[in-house]
Amino acid sequence: MGAKGKRILSAVFRYLVLAVILIFLMFPLYWVLMTSFKTNMEAYRFPPTMVPEAPTVDSYISLFTVDNFFFIYYKNNFIVSGVTALVTLVLAVMSGYALSRFKIGWNKWIVAALLSAQMFPIVSRMISLYGLLGKIHLINTRTGLIFALIAAMLPFAVTLMSSFFDGIPRELEEAAIVDGAGRIQTLFCIIMPLVKPGMVAVGIYSFLMTWDDYLHAVTLIQNDNLRTLSAGVALRYLGELSYDWSKVNTISVVGILPIMILFFAFQKHMVKGLVAGAVKG
Amino acid sequence: MEKKTRVRKIHMTARERNDRIFAGALLLPSVLITVIFILVPVVDSVLKSFLDYKVKNIISGVPGTWNHFANYIKLFNSGKLGMAIVHTLIFVVGVVVAQFLLGMALALILNSNVRFTRFIRSIMMAPWVVPTIISGLIWMWMYQPQYGFLKFLIQQVTGGMVTDFAMLNNPATAMLGIAIAALWKQIPLTTLLLLSGLANVSEDLLEAATIDGANSVGRFFHITIPSIMSVIKITVSMSIIENFKQFPLFWTMTGGGPDNATTTLAILSYREAFVSNNLGSGAAVTTIWMLLMIVVVFVYNRIFKNVEMD
Repeated sequence: MGAKGKRILSAVFRYLVLAVILIFLMFPLYWVLMTSFKTNMEAYRFPPTMVPEAPTVDSYISLFTVDNFFFIYYKNNFIVSGVTALVTLVLAVMSGYALSRFKIGWNKWIVAALLSAQMFPIVSRMISLYGLLGKIHLINTRTGLIFALIAAMLPFAVTLMSSFFDGIPRELEEAAIVDGAGRIQTLFCIIMPLVKPGMVAVGIYSFLMTWDDYLHAVTLIQNDNLRTLSAGVALRYLGELSYDWSKVNTISVVGILPIMILFFAFQKHMVKGLVAGAVKG
Repeated sequence: MEKKTRVRKIHMTARERNDRIFAGALLLPSVLITVIFILVPVVDSVLKSFLDYKVKNIISGVPGTWNHFANYIKLFNSGKLGMAIVHTLIFVVGVVVAQFLLGMALALILNSNVRFTRFIRSIMMAPWVVPTIISGLIWMWMYQPQYGFLKFLIQQVTGGMVTDFAMLNNPATAMLGIAIAALWKQIPLTTLLLLSGLANVSEDLLEAATIDGANSVGRFFHITIPSIMSVIKITVSMSIIENFKQFPLFWTMTGGGPDNATTTLAILSYREAFVSNNLGSGAAVTTIWMLLMIVVVFVYNRIFKNVEMD
């Protein structure tokens, strides 16, 4: 076989592997979307139809009108994830800046604590927090859940943020201080605007990861009115003998949507930030 | 001259002290939250693993009592612990290796001159954004024993020989079913990180090797891999930790069954603590789990000891 034939063969092989992996990644999403537009009759047909024969938005309508619980979970999740992301962001800016700028002996202990904190299994913390939060009356409250989630988000958020501050030249602060700006003013008015991409990455990342939370919510919240999406969906719609698959698929679509929009809107910042934080941090 | 240096020295220490106060104030809230909500609970749960401590102790406010390692002994003797350790290790090793190989294949292809790479790089991240519980639901629907797509696919591929394929209901394939869902969600991030490494491999070096007569396989193993070793190290360690901690996929998709075939340390600890309401026993499982994780991460770091981090 000539060099040209070899090249063509390798290109064919590459496109083939690419296609297989992409189908694996994309098909399930397509399948869920299609099922959500089927009637239950059609969803329960075998062999399945690739495209809904009689597309319907019935299960969406029934989700919006009958299953109001879903939207309570939805709202709760927005509150919990939003507050967690915001507080995490503020704390990560403060701590990230301190770790990046002031080389003090305690830094290595703090970094070690943050790194190990990422490794501990969540169940281990929940066993203890269940009792501890009960004692301080934070069990079954959004506040308790939010604090536990902030703690879970902080390690990665702080390291990510500090790697962004590392990229800002120190001379800027020296100049600001010579000009008579105070430390806090320097941080918030001069340095912070320069790490906006990092702040976007940390904020979105924290929102994304708390939207994904299940274990914290399921152990620390028992009141159905305070449950977040993952916990609520799992407890209400799973584990029954017969699943209403059209509805489950509709819930999946509606549950993915806000997070998908958020991610694709900020993808450029997110990806850059994540790569910078994970690989260089 | 002498006076001047002394003045500067005093000035420096004053500034250093101010730096300390300022940095300390900035760090304090994060440190407090991490200590209160992570480090103290972890230490507390290790201590509780030695106690007879159940949910009723919380309700009645009676502290747990020392029970001479009974939690550990019971778990060992029942065979539950050994089984959960084996299942966890199989899952972690299998998913980490498959994830690395598939992620690397995708990254290499996207880094070569194929079409639409920008578009593919963008949309391939979609599964990563899907919440874990929902990715569990998605795959449960794919595997559904009566109307699932996979049953249909297997039936077509085998020409109608296998007509009752039920991934999650069979102890032999349930673990694989969950592993596939985990891979689906995690491959995008692995690929993204490896791609960022590949983008920094020196073109000059690759070109020089080509001139020296190295073929593509040789270039890959002697230049590409060594150049991205630090990225590989981080990507794989993230994947190890993530999969060691995996809970929601198991809990929603199989709940540890069928016949305990997917009972990992995560499932066992949760079941002991929050289903059997025996928090002490659950804490014993998480303590073993943490020790195992520390050992694995330690061994991993020894293997990659010579990789320089930049």
